[in-house]
Amino acid sequence: MNWFGFFVGVATLFIIGLGFIWVIRGERYFGYLWWPYAMGVGIVCVLASLFLSNDWASALLGAFGASFIWGSTEFKEQAIRGELGWYPFHDKKMLPPFADIIKKWKAPSL
Amino acid sequence: MELNGIGLASAAATFLGVWIGHVSVRKIEREVDRIWIPSTIALLLGIGLELASFWTSSRVLSTIGGIASVTLLGDALEFYRQQERIKKGHAPANPNNTRHARILATHPGATTIDWLACDPRGFPYSGEELKPVKEKVK
Repeated sequence: MNWFGFFVGVATLFIIGLGFIWVIRGERYFGYLWWPYAMGVGIVCVLASLFLSNDWASALLGAFGASFIWGSTEFKEQAIRGELGWYPFHDKKMLPPFADIIKKWKAPSL
Repeated sequence: MELNGIGLASAAATFLGVWIGHVSVRKIEREVDRIWIPSTIALLLGIGLELASFWTSSRVLSTIGGIASVTLLGDALEFYRQQERIKKGHAPANPNNTRHARILATHPGATTIDWLACDPRGFPYSGEELKPVKEKVK
């Protein structure tokens, strides 16, 4: 019996669960314009996972990277939820570098 | 240096599992009257993939099965959570769906408005701004 997928699956469940937390908190204090940076971190994690010889580390880093990419697509909707009052709204957000340029881009949403 | 494809398989299974699950749950919950049916199908598929992940000797296939399994098991639960969002008005109700029509009739917060379809504007909406929009549509 191969337990590898089971344990990676359980770990991924926690990684996805953690994703909800950092998307909500991250958007509240930093704003949705950080989405390209979150996506970049995710892509770097997935690429880095290719170079890890340990299967556990590679699988977990890959799942972590995917959750960052997914999180970057959730930021926009989370920002609207905050503005609608469904989540606490923090008006002094720490904007990312090049925020004015990023504002002109269409934020991804699944 | 030899590349390890397990991380890529894990990333693809996680992203596609979350993406496909997220979109399908919203679409299916919107159209289907009895959500226990798709929820049970997702549950059975999740259990099936979990078992398959135990039986394969390949770590890549086991990873894909294990991750797809947990996302499907999550989706089985997510059908009911989506219904709760409809009741609160956090997701748009479909008046052509008899279950949603009942929710619209019995839950004052339920609406057909998709609040998340717009872009963020940078500051909160006031109750006075939202009320006329909601009353106009409902």
